[in-house]
Amino acid sequence: MNTNSGTAHAGGPRVDCTADTDGRIAFALEAPSIDARLLLRLRPKKGQPEKVLHTLDLELAEDGRHRAVLEPLPLPLLAEGRWDMYLVPEPGAPRQRLRPGLRDLRTLVSGHRHDRPSPVAVRIPYVTKDGHLAVRAWLRTAHAEVEGIDVTDRTMTVRARLHGATLAEGAAVRLRLRGGGGVVRRLEPLVTGDDGRGFSFTVEYGELAAEDAGNRVWDLSVQAGSGEGAAPIRIGRLLDDIADRKEIFVFPEAVVGNAVVRPYYTVDNDLSVLADRT
Amino acid sequence: MKISFLLHNAYGIGGTITTTFNLAQALAERHEVEIVSALRHREHPNFTLDPRVALTPLVDLRHEKEHPLHLRPARVFPAAEYRHRQYSELTDQRIGEALATTDADVVIGTRPGLNVHLALQAPDHVVRIGQEHLTLDNHSPRLRTALRRAYRRLDALTTVTEADAASYRRKMRLPGVRVEALPNSVPDPALPPADGTAKIVVAAGRLVPVKRYDLLIEAFAPVAAAHPDWQLRIYGKGEEQDRLRQLIQRLGLCDNAFLMGAASPMEAEWVKGSIGATAANFEPFGMTIVEAMRCGLPVVSTDCPYGPGEIIKDGIDGRLVPVGDREAMSAALLELVRDDERRRRMGRTALENARRFGPVPVVEQAERLIEEVTAGRSAARERGSIQHALVSQGFAARDAAYVAASGALRVVRRGRR
Repeated sequence: MNTNSGTAHAGGPRVDCTADTDGRIAFALEAPSIDARLLLRLRPKKGQPEKVLHTLDLELAEDGRHRAVLEPLPLPLLAEGRWDMYLVPEPGAPRQRLRPGLRDLRTLVSGHRHDRPSPVAVRIPYVTKDGHLAVRAWLRTAHAEVEGIDVTDRTMTVRARLHGATLAEGAAVRLRLRGGGGVVRRLEPLVTGDDGRGFSFTVEYGELAAEDAGNRVWDLSVQAGSGEGAAPIRIGRLLDDIADRKEIFVFPEAVVGNAVVRPYYTVDNDLSVLADRT
Repeated sequence: MKISFLLHNAYGIGGTITTTFNLAQALAERHEVEIVSALRHREHPNFTLDPRVALTPLVDLRHEKEHPLHLRPARVFPAAEYRHRQYSELTDQRIGEALATTDADVVIGTRPGLNVHLALQAPDHVVRIGQEHLTLDNHSPRLRTALRRAYRRLDALTTVTEADAASYRRKMRLPGVRVEALPNSVPDPALPPADGTAKIVVAAGRLVPVKRYDLLIEAFAPVAAAHPDWQLRIYGKGEEQDRLRQLIQRLGLCDNAFLMGAASPMEAEWVKGSIGATAANFEPFGMTIVEAMRCGLPVVSTDCPYGPGEIIKDGIDGRLVPVGDREAMSAALLELVRDDERRRRMGRTALENARRFGPVPVVEQAERLIEEVTAGRSAARERGSIQHALVSQGFAARDAAYVAASGALRVVRRGRR
């Protein structure tokens, strides 16, 4: 466990945060002075140097604490990834990891109910495995939000809705084999509703298992229009308060032939299907 | 005044720890307060403790697990206590020393075995208050017999419900011991209350069989079928996790019912919901019910012994349904899901009615108890009526007979091996 030593309280100062309906996130804490800053650092890949930082100024709040606001559209937009949060007590001083206080994210819960324009930017403050505060960010040109998955013993039917794009003639759902050198299966989505955003599709598990033994992971996306230029839009579930969905939204397995197949959400909350042939 | 709490393990998670921290912190406004933790297994407590409250661990399991004395069974801590196996000659010794040398005016025990330590080992000048967070009826006859002897040496015994206090008065002969219900307190919420618009039912607690989350999930199935935009979120960890997950999958509730894992603090999770729920078979108090109500949620609960019925006013600030009755639980949930206005009204009433469990009223009662017990200590020892003695002696005899009989049974079983 990683605990910060040298601070008065175990593991560093605590910060409360509140998300509002416009996508703004306000942080409140007791900072040593108004010259302190909050620092967000995009967590680099293992072994890579950190490159991307974002700082937030503090202002004095009515309750005597300090407040910093992450606006809905901070420029540049927060890149997709995990942003660890720090307090820089004064200019030039060493930064301290922040610990979570109360995270009032109630406004995020029904975030899927309103349509998002492009680019789709999502931020969810969350608690890291070692007990610190971080912000999970997604930034996508467009996004397909899963609204529900019905599984049977040989199929799954996904209901989803596009944000930042609309479906056009020739739209296709793509299942791309991870590490499969471009192996792709295509399905025609069923358009639901009349605004060109809702769609559903059914995946036959039988087509996903490998001929030989081994795991196969299929990543799901949708091409909103026809033609080579239509970029695949990843299908996932991002628009609520849950930063790590993998262990919470768990779907039943189906046994198809010699393979065990189930849909799951990845560590990035994207939808994939695992076909495990033993 | 210096007040000392004797707690099993301040570094764990649980209702007794939460409520002890709450009470200790509230008392620290006007008194010197410490928490003595019999055990410790990690660096920091899970719940943040007000720095004004001193925390003193006695046995540190990170270094002392293999201590020769810790490998020998406890003799002061009663063998019939639920947690006897976590105690040892080492805890006997350390707790004994801590009590013998305490500079506190009042020591408050927080579970049966620690109350026994307190009763037997605290110096005469120390006021001894035992707290029972479980219930008398749930204790084994063997434990009741051990407590019946030791608890006579307490100045006061607090239970968390009136029903349990009545049980102690009726079934235990504790002359001169003041027995009183002192409910758990829940801190004033820092967040604005829920506004009743969210389509989420929230439950929280350890995932263990007695909490009947299986029943809650089954009861939620008709709600999800009729109102697919509603969710059930269950917070907590425990042995039932896998079984509950399978149940959710079997009922086709993967997009409606969720095992969320543990959350601390729960406050930010309660306010995401608009109904609280518990289907427990047994709830000595019902801490999560009060927490939910203090966040503005009406709670649908089973009317199990003893807590829920003393917290919820059925139909006014929540709903009480019979224990184990899936249809009744389902109907009560549906009624609140369907009627937005009723749900919001009950939520507002819950918020108001649960104020009595705030730290201020509860700590006032605790302080009054401490002061009265301190003042009237010697006089109290002479109370007790013959009638009461006769009735409680009947219960004592029954427990003793049961203990003797089960002892004999064990001898017989052993003989058969």
